[in-house]
Amino acid sequence: MRVPAIACVVLALTALVSSCAPGQAGSADHGPPRPGGTLRLAIQKEPECLDPHQSPTEAAGTLARPIVDSLVSQDATGGIHPWLAIGWTISPDQLTYTFALRQGVRFSDGTPFDSAAVVANLEHVVAPATKSLLAANLIAAFSSAAAIDPLTVEVRLSRRASSLLGALATPYLGMESPRTLGGSASDLCTRIVGTGPFISDGGYAQQSGINYRRNPDYAWPPYGAGHDGPARLDGITVQVAPDNAARFGALSSGQVDAITAISPVNARVLKSTPGFVLYSKQMPGSNYSYWPNTERGPLSDPLVRKAFRSGVDWAQIVRNVYFGVYEPAHGVLSPTTPGYDASLEAGTAYDPAEAARLLDQAGWTGRDAEGYRTKNGQRLTLRHMWSDAGITDVAVQVQAAARQLGIQTVEENLDGGTYVDRILKGDYELTDTNFSAPGPEVLQVLYASANIPNPERGLNNNMARYDNPAVDADFDQAMQTTDQAARLAHYDDAQRQLTEDAAVFPLYTTVDTVAARDGVQDVEFDAGALPGFYDTWLAS
Amino acid sequence: MAGVLTVPAPRDRRAGRLARLLGTRIAASVVVLWAAVTAVFFLLRLMPGNTVDVLLARSQVSPQVRAQVIAAYRLDGSVGTQYLAYLGRVLTGDLGESYVLREPVATAIGQQLPDSLALLAATMVITVVASVVLAILGASRRPWVRSSFTAVESLASSVPPFWLGLLLLTVFSFTLHWFPAIGSGGLPGLVLPSIALAASAVAVVTRVLREGLLHALEEPFVVTARARGTGELAVRFRHVLRHALLPVTTILGWMAGSLIGGAVIVEIVFSRAGIGRLTLSAVQNRDMPVVTGVVLLAAVIFVVVNILVDVLNWIVDPRTRG
Repeated sequence: MRVPAIACVVLALTALVSSCAPGQAGSADHGPPRPGGTLRLAIQKEPECLDPHQSPTEAAGTLARPIVDSLVSQDATGGIHPWLAIGWTISPDQLTYTFALRQGVRFSDGTPFDSAAVVANLEHVVAPATKSLLAANLIAAFSSAAAIDPLTVEVRLSRRASSLLGALATPYLGMESPRTLGGSASDLCTRIVGTGPFISDGGYAQQSGINYRRNPDYAWPPYGAGHDGPARLDGITVQVAPDNAARFGALSSGQVDAITAISPVNARVLKSTPGFVLYSKQMPGSNYSYWPNTERGPLSDPLVRKAFRSGVDWAQIVRNVYFGVYEPAHGVLSPTTPGYDASLEAGTAYDPAEAARLLDQAGWTGRDAEGYRTKNGQRLTLRHMWSDAGITDVAVQVQAAARQLGIQTVEENLDGGTYVDRILKGDYELTDTNFSAPGPEVLQVLYASANIPNPERGLNNNMARYDNPAVDADFDQAMQTTDQAARLAHYDDAQRQLTEDAAVFPLYTTVDTVAARDGVQDVEFDAGALPGFYDTWLAS
Repeated sequence: MAGVLTVPAPRDRRAGRLARLLGTRIAASVVVLWAAVTAVFFLLRLMPGNTVDVLLARSQVSPQVRAQVIAAYRLDGSVGTQYLAYLGRVLTGDLGESYVLREPVATAIGQQLPDSLALLAATMVITVVASVVLAILGASRRPWVRSSFTAVESLASSVPPFWLGLLLLTVFSFTLHWFPAIGSGGLPGLVLPSIALAASAVAVVTRVLREGLLHALEEPFVVTARARGTGELAVRFRHVLRHALLPVTTILGWMAGSLIGGAVIVEIVFSRAGIGRLTLSAVQNRDMPVVTGVVLLAAVIFVVVNILVDVLNWIVDPRTRG
């Protein structure tokens, strides 16, 4: 892999440059927030479409959030709070949600925000012509919506879905001006109009970026916001800069105020560089993990899975590769996910002796000429399909650790088409990825038997191909109840069973980052760990 | 030397020959374009995996949406019907709608084209100017001059563009602040990317041109020119250069096509908008309408540049007027 090596060389040069630049020692006290100024932001990934109703990408969620508000907001513990809806009631059968809407809210094109607007938005999300890749699925139980009076809207579900409010809190179900929703899908991919703290007149230009200006009439921030009234910044200019070294260089040389998705190497440089701050939030949802194929092959045996989990020092590998920028993970969920059960961490400790014992017990007792374990003359070989070349450094160390156990891993860096094809066929022993989501409902996406990818069903996210009726029952029951404690109890039971079954090998908790020069103050992250700039202000 | 022996053709016959040259070239171009379109269509078919799966990768959609996507893009028809339908649309100028960007391919390409053409033009200008100057300076009979030019050329043509790009950024943007690090904005934003993209082209063209110059410098007419008292630089610019240009124009024509590949990397490193990045994401997402649109565009540019090169050769060298 030549690219990372080269990037490091240049990085060393830029580090030298930035450490020579004048900077303040530590984070100075910048006094009370003051309005004004334009934030220059460089982002790594661009959305293929700005409209969050259509696009499933984090980039779309991030760039749409300054423009669109949601009916409700979600806090870090999973609690739901009023936003554009000031209250709601749930019918006893849990199939009808009635929302009371905030009065006096207007979209930035002058259209009043009312019950008709909410109906138009929900219908736009589920309309087949929208081809929604995420939002429609977040509210898969949606049946219909009706305006009862101008400030009351009723949402009916086809089945119980306690995930509805959490879904409505995401930017993917943000409220857009009904006047724009009738237009073409491609127009919305460029320009959206909402009730949010910022307005983008020009919209999003592919490969270059988007400019926002403050919405002067904004007076309805979400729960937990740091202030009331319009945003503090006059505006934000966002440029797309896909190359890590170039983006970091633009920040360290003062050409932009802030960048997203700083690489671990750059983050370490930045921490030792005066004059810069690193805003970060551990992403809720699933950790970056290795996923075993629990359906067939050697890892369909729970003993082998447990051996692989306890025989590889995952935490040490994470420390070696990411030097403290990413925290080693120990659970099925990331620690910032509502309902995370930390008591299960103890069961996943590094214990090579136990691993060897488990492998013996599973019948992999033979040894071939190269020292790998065998059973009935077959070598214990695991094919690891990379989801991304970024896993290289980790994969090399896992491979070495597996070798110690007598397990061979075959590393496969494949093109997208082959990867998808083999995921569908279940033709792999290991793959790797993460999956961020604001709540424990992500477990259903990742481990429900209905979500095992196959050629008929198409691509789905149960890459562990985990099929356990008891866990499926937990998911169903959690969806049936709107009582938060009862819901979390079901997800807790699922976490326990998934940990016992070693259905996943957690590596590290992914982090959403905004690196900025010191004068950039108060960057916040929402429940889904997407950065927000409503409170942000420039001290210099 | 045939041109020296034949009587110069009358002007109308020469114009007729030029028209015939253009006619055959354009006819051949149509075949090239059709072959390019067809090859792309079938190569994308050969890639492993199913288009609708790649299209919907990493997203959760209902079976209805999946069916909707398949129907909208006619992914359920046979390869033959898909090919014919596709060819029909291309002939009528309809490049289709991007699967991923959700806008017409023509719009997507049209948005990115100005930035790419600016990069391409700047790169070609730098290549031509730098190669001519360097070749004339380096066409020396003294071995140490030639070998040092050769060494620099070898280095320049073997340095990967992304590495050169990062080096240029580090020195001229991050450190000296002369040029912006990211974005396509205006002339300052064009300097470093076009240098990074032109470097290896300059090296190749300079070498070819210098060899041609050295060869031509041995010709008797140079002795005559020098005997008339013409200065060394004037000899090279006015007399020798024209003789050495023929292979260079041919190489330039070939390069214009290959620059699109190099542009992908340069556009990423310099965060420039452009066709290269559009192509990369389209290939990754298997966005067939965009990929075929870009290939058609590249083929058209390639064909047009090569027709221009043929005409240029026709003007520069009487021997090609057959």
